Amino acid sequence: MARRKVKAKQGGAAGSGSAKPSGSTPRLDVDSRALVGYDDDEPSAFASMLGGLIEANVRSHREKERDFESLKARVGIWVTDIDEGVTLDFKGGKLVVHNGLKPRRKLTIRTDADTVMSLSNLKIGLFGLPVYYDEVGRGVALKLMTGKLKIEGLLSNVMTLNTVTRIFSVQ
Amino acid sequence: MAVKAFSNEWAKAFKDEVNKSSVYKTAGKGWKWTVGLVVEAEPANHFPEAKGIVMDLFDGEARDIKVGAASDAQKCDFVITAPYTRWKEVATNQLDATKGMLQGKLKLKGDLPTIVRYTKASQEMTLCTTRIPVEWPDEK
Repeated sequence: MARRKVKAKQGGAAGSGSAKPSGSTPRLDVDSRALVGYDDDEPSAFASMLGGLIEANVRSHREKERDFESLKARVGIWVTDIDEGVTLDFKGGKLVVHNGLKPRRKLTIRTDADTVMSLSNLKIGLFGLPVYYDEVGRGVALKLMTGKLKIEGLLSNVMTLNTVTRIFSVQ
Repeated sequence: MAVKAFSNEWAKAFKDEVNKSSVYKTAGKGWKWTVGLVVEAEPANHFPEAKGIVMDLFDGEARDIKVGAASDAQKCDFVITAPYTRWKEVATNQLDATKGMLQGKLKLKGDLPTIVRYTKASQEMTLCTTRIPVEWPDEK
């Protein structure tokens, strides 16, 4: 079957302005190119939201931009209480979002909508590690321990999970 | 006493509920943007004209909530749009607003990272709407 052409939506998140370069560190040229594309003719609301969120994050945070440039992994997110999911295909500076779960995923996160929101609210602490000791972090850790948050592929891909969390986090 | 859905009385009751909420006061700290809710018309459900709810929210407080034209709400920093029935589902606790947005049942316009950062505040605002006794036009 012929592969559909990936559609890019520049500036996916409405109102999310691009940060201006500052300081002496060279800035990657993310301002002028589409970072996120959608594989489906009609991306689901969830796909558009995640794609838009990641694009806005990357465009406005230099450290997320660096993670985005380096990350190559397929990550699935399945939201159990709405029975919908997406596959985020990070291709080192480009993200393709697919409706539903696609094969060859390194990581698959399965949880409810509230926890997806909590994951994107995890603070990032020392050494770029997610903070699990504040209120949001404890909530996420508890859900992981009680099986309400399942992460397939976690043990062999902890670093990838941390990178995805950093890109995904709005904090 | 029940108030008419999306009327000025409803807006006042909503504002009072938000300002009574200690959860919102904490979760909404730092918020400084206007929020518009667009309630799309559904003549078949006796809601013949679209309405806009303009919410002036600031730092954990509802400074003002007004009901007016949909076009007023569309000018806000964040705009959430849905037909009457969807909003009724939200206000009667049948539809979780977060899930509704992820499913595209509620359409959101605005800076996504900001709204995600304030998920707890928006969830509490939704709960505030469920505490208001409402007279729904399609239930007359």
